[in-house]
Amino acid sequence: MVPQPGHVRIENLTKVYHTRQRRGLFRAEETEVVALKDLSLEIHPGEIFGLLGPNGAGKTTLIKCLTTLLLPTSGNAWINGYHLTEQDNDIRASVGCMLMGERGLYWKLTGRENLIFFGALYHLSPTDRRRRADAIIEQLGLQDLADRTVETYSSGQKMKFAFAKALINDAPLLILDEPTNTLDLPSARELRAVVRELNQAGKTVIYTTHSMSEAETMCDRVAIIDRGQVLALGTVAELKASLGRDQVIRIEGVISPQASQAVKRLPGVIQATLAAVNGRNQLTVVAQDGHLLLPRLIETLIAHRAVVQKIAPEETTLEDVFIARTGRTLAEDTRIK
Amino acid sequence: MSAAIAHPTFRQKLSAALAETWLRLLFSSRYPGQLALEIIIPIVFAAMPMLLGRASGGAHAAANFQANTGTANYVAYLLIGSNVFMIVTSAFWHIAYWLRFEQETGTLEAIYLTPTSSLTLASGVAIYSTIRSLTSTLIAYLVGCLIFGVNPFQGDVLLALAFIFTGLIPLYGLAFLFGALVLKVKESNALVNLMQWLVSFLMGIFFPVTVLPPLVRALALLFPPTWMVNGVRSALLGVGFFFGAWYRDMAVLWAALLFAPPVSIWVFHRVEHGIRRHEGMGEF
Repeated sequence: MVPQPGHVRIENLTKVYHTRQRRGLFRAEETEVVALKDLSLEIHPGEIFGLLGPNGAGKTTLIKCLTTLLLPTSGNAWINGYHLTEQDNDIRASVGCMLMGERGLYWKLTGRENLIFFGALYHLSPTDRRRRADAIIEQLGLQDLADRTVETYSSGQKMKFAFAKALINDAPLLILDEPTNTLDLPSARELRAVVRELNQAGKTVIYTTHSMSEAETMCDRVAIIDRGQVLALGTVAELKASLGRDQVIRIEGVISPQASQAVKRLPGVIQATLAAVNGRNQLTVVAQDGHLLLPRLIETLIAHRAVVQKIAPEETTLEDVFIARTGRTLAEDTRIK
Repeated sequence: MSAAIAHPTFRQKLSAALAETWLRLLFSSRYPGQLALEIIIPIVFAAMPMLLGRASGGAHAAANFQANTGTANYVAYLLIGSNVFMIVTSAFWHIAYWLRFEQETGTLEAIYLTPTSSLTLASGVAIYSTIRSLTSTLIAYLVGCLIFGVNPFQGDVLLALAFIFTGLIPLYGLAFLFGALVLKVKESNALVNLMQWLVSFLMGIFFPVTVLPPLVRALALLFPPTWMVNGVRSALLGVGFFFGAWYRDMAVLWAALLFAPPVSIWVFHRVEHGIRRHEGMGEF
C-alpha cells in the first residue's frame, strides 16, 4: 500500500479479552470482555482528532491496537497507509506515541539520555539522535531539566519529557493519551499550544481525554466512545447541533434518585442524569423544548421533596451529548469489573 | 514521512543493540557497589567448600581431590566453578530480570512502540551481560588465586577463553528461552533463584559431573554450561575433556550454539505474539 502520512482508517475493529474472575483463593471463572465492538472510523491527515469517553470506554484498548501493542480479535486498520498486522514495523516507525505518561521513561537516566536512547531504537544515526534530542529540548524549553536524572523530576516534568519522547522520531502521526494529566494549568496550556503548533506544521494528532473543555478547545473532530463503540462522531459544532431542538437544563440542590427517576418519566424528557458535583447533587436533564417543560419539571421535583437551589437552561456541551446518548456522565467508570 | 527507519540494516540493528548495552552500562554506573559485590561473591562462594575440604581432608585433601577430579589444584578448580557459575547465573538474571524490570516500570511498552525488535534489544542486553560478568569474574578469579596462593595462568588460557566465548552463545539462547517463561508467568525472582540452584548442581560447580548418578549425569550433559566449565577446567588444569580431545568437546558446544538460539528465538516470538493477542506487553 502507498504510505498516506497522517491518515488512519479503522474498519470493524473488535477486541475481546478473556479474563479470569477470581472466586476465592483457588477458583476462577473465565469471562469474555468485549473492549472494542465493530469500531469503524477514519481520521484525516492534518486534523486533531479527539477520542472522548469515560474510563473503561475502550480508548486505551483502541490506542494499544493502533500502536501494535495489542492484536485485534478481528477487523482491519491502516495507519499512515500501513496495514495494522501486516506492516506493524512501518507503523511503529511512523507513529509518535505518548502512552502511560511518566512510566515510559527510564528514571535512572537523564531526560536527554532518554531521548537519545529512544532515538537509537527508532534507528536514527548517532548524530541525528543528539541533534533531534537537542532540538526537542529547546522547543519545549526543557534545557534546565535535561541533564538531571528523571527520578528527580516532578510528575509534571516527567510528563513533559514523556511528550518529548513522542517527538523523537518526527512522525507524521502523534498519538497522545491524556497528555495533560498531572500537569498544572500553565504547563497544560503550554503543552496544548505546542500540540497546536505541531498540528499546524502538518502533523495529525489523535488526542484522548476525558476533559470536555479540553476536547472542545483542541479538537477538529471528536469521536465519543462508550463500551467499545463510537456513539457520536463529528466536529464539536456538529455534535452539539445533533441534539437539535433538545435543550439542557441543569438543576442543583438536594435531589433524591426517586426525584430523578420521576423527572426521567416526564413526557419530552430524553435523559435525566443525577451526579454529585462539588459536594452537591446536580441533575442534568436533556429534553425537547425545555422551556415548555420547566414548570412541570419543578412541580415534579417539589412533589418528590427535592430542594432546588439553582435551575438554569444551559448551552449544550459535549458532556451533554454523551449524557443524551448514554444516560450517564463521563465521570462514571464503565470498566467491566 | 518520519525520521525513523522501519526496516533497519544489520548495521542499524547493531547500533540499536549497542544503545541498549550502553543504557545498561549507564544503569550500572549509577550503582557502583554492585560490581564490587560481584567480584567478592565467587571468591566467598568458592572459599566455603575449599575450607571445608581442608578441614575434612587434612593433609591429604589435595591427593584425595586429585583421585576424583584429575587435578590436585582444588583451589583453582573451585574458583573456576564458582566464576563460570557467576557468568551463567548473570546471563539468566540479566535477560529474565531485564524483561520483568521493564514490564514493572512501564518501559517495556515504550520499547515495544519502537521498530526495534525484542531480539535486537536482547542482543544488547547479552553484550552488556557478557562485558559485566566477564570483567567481574576475571577480576574475581585473579584476586581469588592471589588470596589462596595459586598460579592463575597455568595451562592453556586461550583455549579456556575459547570455551567461555563459545559457550556464551547457547547460554544466552537458553536465557532468552527463560525470558519467554518469565514473560509468560510474570515472575522472575523465584524462577531465577530456582534456576540458579538447578544450574549450579547440574554443571558441577564444586564437583565433576562424573560423580552424579547416570540419569542426572545424562541430563547435566544436555546443558551447555556443563561443557563450558569442564572445558575451562580441562584447558587450565588438565582434568580431562569428556570426549578425550578439546575439539570434540568444542564441537558439542558448537552444536548447542547452532541449536539453542534459533529454538529460543522461535519460542520467544510465539510467547510474544500470544501476549500481544491476549493482554498486551505492559500487563503485569
